Amino acid sequence: MGGPFDTAVENAWCPGCGNFPILTAVKKALERTGKGKNEIVLVSGIGQAAKLPHYVDVNVFNGLHGRALPAALAIKMANPSLEVVVSSGDGDIYGEGGNHFVHNIRRNPDIAVFVHDNQVYGLTKGQPSPTSDPGWTGSLQRSGVISGPFPPLAVAIALGCGFVARALASDVDHTAELMFQAIAHKGFALVDILQPCVTFNKKNTYEWYGRMAYRVPPDYDPSDRQRAFALSLEWEERIPVGVLYRKERPSFEEVHPGVGNPPLHARETPEEAIRALIRKRVLTLP
Amino acid sequence: MGVDINIRITGGAGQGVHTSGAFVSRIAVAAGYHFHSTQDYMSRIRGGRNSCSVRIMDVPARAGRAEADILLSLDPGHLPHFLPGLHPKGLALSDSPITGDTGKVTVAPLKELALSAGSPILGNMVGMGIVAYALGISSHRMDQLLALEFRGDFLEKNRSAVRLGAEWASGRVTESFQLPPAPFRPRMILAGNEALALGAVAGGCKFAAGYPMTPGSSILLGLSTDGPPLGLVFEQAEDEIAALNMAIGASYAGARSMVATSGGGFALMVEALSLAGMLETPVVIALGMRPGPATGMPTRTGQEELEFVLSAGHGEFPRMVLAPGSVEEAYALARHAMDMAEAHQVPCILLTDQYLADTAVDVDPEDLAILPVHRRIVRGNEVPRNPEGRYLRYALTESGVSPMAVPGEPGITVVADSDEHDEDGHLTEDHGIRLRMAAKRARKEEGLAADILPPVLAGPPDGEAALIGFGSTKGVIGEAREILAREGFPVVSVHLRQVWPFPSGAVGGILSRYGTALTVENNRRGQLARLIRAETGREVAGTVSRHDGLPFTPEELAREVKERLWVARSTRP
Repeated sequence: MGGPFDTAVENAWCPGCGNFPILTAVKKALERTGKGKNEIVLVSGIGQAAKLPHYVDVNVFNGLHGRALPAALAIKMANPSLEVVVSSGDGDIYGEGGNHFVHNIRRNPDIAVFVHDNQVYGLTKGQPSPTSDPGWTGSLQRSGVISGPFPPLAVAIALGCGFVARALASDVDHTAELMFQAIAHKGFALVDILQPCVTFNKKNTYEWYGRMAYRVPPDYDPSDRQRAFALSLEWEERIPVGVLYRKERPSFEEVHPGVGNPPLHARETPEEAIRALIRKRVLTLP
Repeated sequence: MGVDINIRITGGAGQGVHTSGAFVSRIAVAAGYHFHSTQDYMSRIRGGRNSCSVRIMDVPARAGRAEADILLSLDPGHLPHFLPGLHPKGLALSDSPITGDTGKVTVAPLKELALSAGSPILGNMVGMGIVAYALGISSHRMDQLLALEFRGDFLEKNRSAVRLGAEWASGRVTESFQLPPAPFRPRMILAGNEALALGAVAGGCKFAAGYPMTPGSSILLGLSTDGPPLGLVFEQAEDEIAALNMAIGASYAGARSMVATSGGGFALMVEALSLAGMLETPVVIALGMRPGPATGMPTRTGQEELEFVLSAGHGEFPRMVLAPGSVEEAYALARHAMDMAEAHQVPCILLTDQYLADTAVDVDPEDLAILPVHRRIVRGNEVPRNPEGRYLRYALTESGVSPMAVPGEPGITVVADSDEHDEDGHLTEDHGIRLRMAAKRARKEEGLAADILPPVLAGPPDGEAALIGFGSTKGVIGEAREILAREGFPVVSVHLRQVWPFPSGAVGGILSRYGTALTVENNRRGQLARLIRAETGREVAGTVSRHDGLPFTPEELAREVKERLWVARSTRP
């Protein structure tokens, strides 16, 4: 212990929760950025995963369920020099916040988004999430999940997300490496993290993920979108882990007129500029 | 009686009704007169039956009038609908073919002259030429006004259309509406929503987001047009939920922020409204009301969201609700809202409606106050720290307002959580802290109460009745008061520009002073009357309600009030 981002806040996760290795990886990745705690903002929605920001000594915006991304976008727009990182759950980002997931990938703000994907709603006690496997039995679907699973990586690639990765929570160092790359990537960067829920998901366990996951080979070319798309849909036989797709494109902040320095909190409202706006509307005759 | 000419232009969407109305407004201002214009339009892109009414007066015009003196119908098919609203001595102009009561209508060859001018779409400008002739506006002045609008070949075609219209009118159109010469005064031509956006920008708004919805969209348009030169950043959100969550995020990062919407969009924002209450992030929400429920009448007016905005949001938290009554007040209160939201760290709602949104008047630029923007963010040495050296975003203070620092400030972190939280912002389930935080938030109500804008009263102090309204009814009630005074019914008008915290003391005093108090509201159940009862424990004598989607007119309101006062007089001991 004794890392720069440790806090004394009491932890509320189950013993053995897959969130613990994710927390360790987040701190490692943030340390590697070399940024100070005042330069980083961790943003989340609601759920067990969404409590993570409280356990890291940085700026925290823990908003509403599903609404982490709009807040994160606006924080980045208001002050692009802040390192904005979202860390929240699959229900939060893919379920309640699905619309924001789609449209912020389109916008491409320079934020990193870590989704703790345990395929279950934990805090509300075991309902299926958008990524639950068909047939899986949750507390609200006793006869098994009927809907097809939401494929986050395939959706992200389809929308042109410039950094699409999958991590295995139990592999802390690799997860931290992927997180660091996601933060360093300029634009919307998604890391979907295979995270066991030790209490409510008895199918997708540490053992199961460990058996199914494999690293994409070193010679894999993440710039091949067709190949990445095919890989992103692999699930039944085995699950690829690593950077599946990568392509730089201008970030939202670079393209949006007006976003930049100085940050919005430091911008003045000169009286002369208001006067000019008023004068512009006065009808004058030649 | 001085000059008071009401000009109504009607036609389908796409026929230039709005453009013509704006043009008549400029004619009025250029001639040295005041004007008041309103829009009545249907929810469609092309066609339908739209109208724009421009009332020209030699005193500041503060309301529309039901009867038109000049009716220019760009679609003759609309005449049966609009002719009953023409003054008996009025002038109706339209092109053929005309069916029904043709005797009242002056048939003008709008299409034919438009083609002579070079384009079939210039029928409205031919009409402008006829109207200008009727008002006695010189062709030189018309050329000047057109040059402000158009350039090149299109300017020449418009000039030609206007000239052909005026030439045709000579000898055919009455000269009874001539405007006597008046000195020109430089005035702004400004609509309610434009003024609201301008006021927010003048109040230091630096972040705005929204999803288009009538009648809030034109506020977004104003913010995205006038804001950027002053450093405002605008983003169209994927939905209203995103819009308010974005504004709150930007506010957390230190930007004065706002959103604009209508009732349905505000319904989607309600959870985030509660978030602003919990995080104590300043934010301004402009809500343009229209008749509901659900989609209701999208392009028409109403005041049905008063009770909604007062109770919206789960949980208990302080808020401020302002209700501008005029174009100038839309500017002033938007500016005030930006300041108050930050001063008290609360969400502040600006309650407007389609009528005020689309009402344009001439504004004296001197009437729009330009004041310094006073930011209250703590920076550097001003940032308070606890003994461990940490900044506490939710430090317990006497006023309930905690010093607000922004993320990025060296040496500290800013923690905000939608859960109940301790002074440091981290979530807690401690019931004692819960009570202290609930009390802290509630203490802000006291500061808000000290900043209540009192109602604006006008009329004789010994009036026999009080007419009480909020928001956009201010001008109409004011003119109805003048009509009633002339007819032997001295009444005072009471305009509530702030409805929350409610000015209980002032309104209670008014109810004590005036025997008969009536609320005037564009909703069915008298929401203001109910609010007055809840906050003062007093009943008003009744409510004059109009909720068909159209604004009150002064004559109609005066007539209705007169009937009520006759009853009140006859039943008085």
